[in-house]
Amino acid sequence: MSANSNSVDPIVEQKIQIPYSYVAGPAVSRFLTGLKDCVFYASECDACGRKTVPPLSFCGRCWKPIREFVTVGPRGVVESFASMPGGETPGVVYALVRLRGADTCLPHLLDLVPGQKAQIGAEVEPVWNEEREGSVLDIRSFRLRQAG
Amino acid sequence: MPQKVAIIGTGQTKHAAKRTDVNIRELVNEAVTRALIDAEVQLDEIDAIMIGNMEPFEGFMFPEHWAVEGWGGYLKPSVKFNTGGTVGTTTIAASYYYIAAGIYDTVLAIGFEKQSDGHTQTAITTVGDPVWERTMMAGAVGNFALMASTFIAEGGVTDEHAAKVAVKARHNGARNVNAHLQMPDLKVEDVMKSELLSWPVRKLDMCPQSDGAVAVVLTADHLAKKRCARPAWIRAVTTAHEQQYMGDSPKRLAVMRSQTAASRRLYKMVGITNPRKELDVAEIYEVASWAELAMYQNLGFCEPGEAGKLIDEGVTLMGGELPVNPSGGVLCTNPIGATAMIRVAEAALQVMGKAGEHQVPNVKTALATGYGGNAWTDAMILSASF
Amino acid sequence: MAKTDEVIRVPFLMKMEYRYALGAYASRFFQELKDHGRLFGIRCPECERVYIPPRPVCGICFVETGEWVPVSDEGVLVGATVVRLPFIDPMTGERRPVPYGMGIIRLDGASTAMYHFVDETDDAKLKVGRRVKARIRANRKGNMRDIECFELVD
Ligand SMILES: [Zn+2]
Ligand SMILES: [Zn+2]
Repeated sequence: MSANSNSVDPIVEQKIQIPYSYVAGPAVSRFLTGLKDCVFYASECDACGRKTVPPLSFCGRCWKPIREFVTVGPRGVVESFASMPGGETPGVVYALVRLRGADTCLPHLLDLVPGQKAQIGAEVEPVWNEEREGSVLDIRSFRLRQAG
Repeated sequence: MPQKVAIIGTGQTKHAAKRTDVNIRELVNEAVTRALIDAEVQLDEIDAIMIGNMEPFEGFMFPEHWAVEGWGGYLKPSVKFNTGGTVGTTTIAASYYYIAAGIYDTVLAIGFEKQSDGHTQTAITTVGDPVWERTMMAGAVGNFALMASTFIAEGGVTDEHAAKVAVKARHNGARNVNAHLQMPDLKVEDVMKSELLSWPVRKLDMCPQSDGAVAVVLTADHLAKKRCARPAWIRAVTTAHEQQYMGDSPKRLAVMRSQTAASRRLYKMVGITNPRKELDVAEIYEVASWAELAMYQNLGFCEPGEAGKLIDEGVTLMGGELPVNPSGGVLCTNPIGATAMIRVAEAALQVMGKAGEHQVPNVKTALATGYGGNAWTDAMILSASF
Repeated sequence: MAKTDEVIRVPFLMKMEYRYALGAYASRFFQELKDHGRLFGIRCPECERVYIPPRPVCGICFVETGEWVPVSDEGVLVGATVVRLPFIDPMTGERRPVPYGMGIIRLDGASTAMYHFVDETDDAKLKVGRRVKARIRANRKGNMRDIECFELVD
């Protein structure tokens, strides 16, 4: 055995690509369809009253099907955020937004203009795309509501 | 002394090629709801949940978190399993060990896969070793074709034997309300004329890709006797892994070392010396018609070279000496992360006398197996008494 | 549950990049293949099996292997098929062209076998027991694809 010449690359690089296509199901479909009309639908469990976004068709805590939908938002409150260093758009942060009336948070982007700072408890509103097709990306981002 | 463990309830979805009406969480919920009703157990009586799934098929990491509302796992102790085709039997085995060890009394085991959300042949190719095998991998069909070719080369089995197995499965499946493929009128020549996917495997020799979920309620003996008139007792569980690379066992289907080792060990644990006579039914993980024939030998139902004779003589048909896969088996239904657990659930239904139209009369002892990964085997014996 | 008549599917193309270390044994195997176009296995001192891929331990005897032994670039088909079912190859994200031949090949001098492409798409010719020879590329990079494929001989 010899080890002359140039050595083999000790690393094998692979890029794995697999396409998926997720069925949204009835409750999430209701939510996604609502986005076309700039409306947020939450599911409401008639046992525990929890209003969930995105909606569930089943409350796993009460072990009961959910039949009620209510509208929530469109304004919400930042419950948590993280800036994304090295992101391509400086000023964009990833945030958990609790829509007004909902008990759970929707993860989305928060678009800040120069001089603005993300803050827990800040009031936000959605910025909608002109063309909407029933996707969470119909919401371009959330933006801070101006005080007063 | 370990606690004795019994299955007291099962639930399955109506398995199908594409469940476009539900998402993954809703699919799982259907099976869990049915299992709890069947076992007459409330969710708060479940001590822990074991959940099995093969993540690459949905590209869906941590399904145990994502789907928690659907399977009743909120704040409960739970463990996830991901062991390839065997995942369903591994999940049952783990549930069994937890109860036998006295850690939990009542455990809910869940298996699911929603294959229409992904690309099965593509995802399965990633199981190959990245340095040595992956660039050559050929999905499940190509891989099984290679394995089947080794089996045919040993002699004793023909296309017609394989087609008879495929027909048996589809006729049995037609009597099982939950089976994905329902083909009561399928004929041997239909199988032999179906599209050649990869010689010797034709389309009707191969299992389908299914969306489906299964759930099983297991409990310790002091509760089982109170809750269930005729529980299915888990008498013994074993598992065997064999090889590191695909080519380590060149005759991979003809000589399936893990299956031979696991089944012989299992039979010894319960005192079975003649499985063909002493087993009343078997639910085995046969991904292709050819695999079922090879498994007859590997599981000791016949001598090597006699698998073709076994199907010719009708030994494994409904009404035969040892019916194999009265549910229709994997050849009718294959939601991979659920498939091996469906074998256990179906074996339990047979022991409990609850299999309905596909019930084998007077089942006292049943075998269930799982098969997957690089030729791994799980195996267990269920029985009407302990 | 309010029904929406629409079935909504959410598409997602997963792209993941990985960097796998060859490790000492594969590095040595591929170095030899790259430099000299030669194939080596590794022998278990106890059962004398010659393993390809080479590995540090014989899993059956559970003892260290150690002796590198040359194996032939010719061997026999233990398994064989022509793959006709198209599928998306995760390595490229594209459909892999079909049909193509595949084999489980045991090289002369090796105890274990390897999976590889065989340059034959005739089901009648691609049979278990046929002799094959590795077609080794002239321009080698030190990976499995340095063996372009196997071809039927005799
Ligand atoms: Zn509730
Ligand atoms: Zn050895």
